[in-house]
Amino acid sequence: MKLLDAELIQSREFLPGQWLQSYSAPWLAGAVQPGQFVHVRTPDYSGLVLRRPFSVNTYDRHTGEATIHFRVTGKGTEWLARMRPPEKVEMLGPLGRGFELDPKSRHLLLVAGGLGMAGVRSLADEAVAQNRRVVVLFGAATAREVYPSSLLPAEVEYSVATDDGSFGHHGRVTELVAQYEAWADQCFACGPEPMLAAMARLAATRHQRLGVAQLGARGRGRSAPRGTASARRKAWLQVSMEQNMGCAVGACLGCVVMGADGPQRVCREGPVFAADEIDWEGWS
Amino acid sequence: MSEASAATATAVDLSVDLGRGLVIDNPIMVASGTFGYGVEYGDVVDVQRLGAICCKGTTLRPRVGNPPPRVTETPAGMLNSIGLQNPGVKGVLEKYAPRWAGWKVPVIVNVAGESVEDYVEVARRLDGQPGIAGIELNISCPNVGKGGLQFALDAEGAGAVTAAVRAATELPLMVKLSPAAPDVRAIARAIEDAGADALSAVNTLSGMAIDRAREKPLLGNTYGGLSGPALKPVALRVVYEVAQAVKLPIVAIGGIGALDDVLDFLMAGAVAVQVGTAVFADPVLPVRLVDELAAYCARHGLASHRQLIGRALPERRDRPSTKGVEYRP
Repeated sequence: MKLLDAELIQSREFLPGQWLQSYSAPWLAGAVQPGQFVHVRTPDYSGLVLRRPFSVNTYDRHTGEATIHFRVTGKGTEWLARMRPPEKVEMLGPLGRGFELDPKSRHLLLVAGGLGMAGVRSLADEAVAQNRRVVVLFGAATAREVYPSSLLPAEVEYSVATDDGSFGHHGRVTELVAQYEAWADQCFACGPEPMLAAMARLAATRHQRLGVAQLGARGRGRSAPRGTASARRKAWLQVSMEQNMGCAVGACLGCVVMGADGPQRVCREGPVFAADEIDWEGWS
Repeated sequence: MSEASAATATAVDLSVDLGRGLVIDNPIMVASGTFGYGVEYGDVVDVQRLGAICCKGTTLRPRVGNPPPRVTETPAGMLNSIGLQNPGVKGVLEKYAPRWAGWKVPVIVNVAGESVEDYVEVARRLDGQPGIAGIELNISCPNVGKGGLQFALDAEGAGAVTAAVRAATELPLMVKLSPAAPDVRAIARAIEDAGADALSAVNTLSGMAIDRAREKPLLGNTYGGLSGPALKPVALRVVYEVAQAVKLPIVAIGGIGALDDVLDFLMAGAVAVQVGTAVFADPVLPVRLVDELAAYCARHGLASHRQLIGRALPERRDRPSTKGVEYRP
C-alpha cells in the first residue's frame, strides 16, 4: 500500500456512461493482485470529502499501466470522467485481499454482472497467462451495456445474458452457471448483491446437486479457519463485494458487510470473500 | 531569510498541556473513529509525528455495530453510523496497548458506554495500563441507542458521568462535547466542576440521507453522524462559546482540512485540534499540518502557536453573555 500519483494516459467512454481509463502507475501495476482495488482522491476536499474506490480492472507489469472501469453515477465519477491526459490523480493502493487461486484449479468460471466485470477482469488475464481455461459469464440489462468481447483475452470463452433478451441468453446471468458448474474447479463472481446472493445459493447446493463425490479423508481433515487464504482457495465460490467506503485501510469500519462471523470490512478482509463468509440473509 | 525561517520553524514550541501531566509535542491529533488504532495506515503515515491519537470508541464489551451501509458522502461532509463496533476494552488492551506502549505518540482511548457504570468500569480497566496516555470520554456519540448522547445533552448527566469516571482513574481525562446541546456552556461547566482535565469539541451532529432508488433511508441505521467541512462553523461556534465559559483546555474537532482551519480554531480558543474526516481524503494531512503550523509561527515571529489561542475571543472573558457574542438557539 502506497500513496502514489497516477498519470492519466487514455480515457474513453466505451459503453454509454461507462468509462475505461488507463493510468501510468508503475509501482501499483507491479504490486497489484487480481481482485485488489485503489482508493482515488477527489479533487476538492471542501466538496467531495471521500475518496472513491475502484477495482484495478487490468494491469500490465511491463508497461507499468493500470486501468479502472467505472460508471458515472455522481459528482466524483463525473469529475473523473472529465479528466484528460496527462492529468494526475492520487491513488492509495493496492488495497484489500484479492482472489485466491488454487494452483490445482484448471478450469475457472468468472461471473460478472454489469460493472462487476471490473472486479474479475484482471483475474481473466492472470488465469490465461497461467494457461488455465477461463469462461466468463456476463449479465447486463440490455445489449447496449454488454461488455465488448474484444476487451477480453482471446483465449476466454465468453457468454452473455441480458435481462431484456436483446443479446445472448434472455434472463439472468446466474441461469448460465448451470452448464459450467460441474466443469469449473473454482468460480469467482462480482456484481450486484442479489446476483452474488443467487451465486452463493448455487454454490451452497452444488455438491448435492451435482452428486460430486466428497474428496477422500485426506481433504476432509481439519478445515482451514474461515477467512484464511487456504479456506478461500478451497471454497468453490469467491465473491468480490462492494460497499460505501471511508478510509479503505480498515480504520473506520465504514465499509462492512455482514458476515457469518460478524461484520467484515470490505476494504481489509475483502473485497474478495469466500461465499460462506458472508451472511446472505436479507439479500435476495 | 529562508534559512532563518527554516531554523526558527524547528525552534517553534508547539507543545500543549492537556492537564494531569499529558503534554503533547504538537497540537495536531487525529480524531476517534477516523484513525482506527493507529496501525491501519501502516507505512503511509508516520504516526509518531502526530500530537496524539484518539483511538476508536471503546466499550466495556465487544460491539458488532450497526447494519450497513454505514457511511455516505453528503454535501461538504459525510455521515457515519458505525455504531461503536469495537473489540471491547479487554480486546483493546490485549491487542493494541502493548504496541502503543512502545510508541512516542500518546494514544488517548476514546471510551463509550450505555451507563455510568459502563464508563467507570472501562476507565478502571484502562487505569495504569502501559500504552494508555489518557481517556477521551465519548458522551456524545449519536449512533448508539442507549446512553451515549444523552449524557452530553444534560449538564447534570454530563457532570455525573465525568465525576464517576474521575473517581475511577488517575488518567488524564478529556470529555467530548456534542454540538447538539442547547446550551453547551452549562454542560462544559458541569464537566469542569466534575474534575475533567480537558474538553474536546465537537462530536458529529445527527443527520440522515435518502436512497432515492430504494426509496428508503440510505444508512442501515437510518441516522448517522455528520462530519467534515459542513460541520466546521458549528464546531467553531461551540469552541468559541465554551472557551469563554471554562478554563479547561479545549481540543477542537470539526471539518479541519487545512492550516487555515487549524488557525481558525486556535483563534476561537482551542489549544489543539483533531483531524477526522479529512484523514480519509488525505491520510498524511495531519503530519503535514504539524510542519505547516510550525512554519506559519516562524513566519509570523511566534515562539509558539499558543500565542494564537483565543485571539478572536471577546476581550472581557468574564462577562461574555450580554454582548451578542453567543449563540441563541
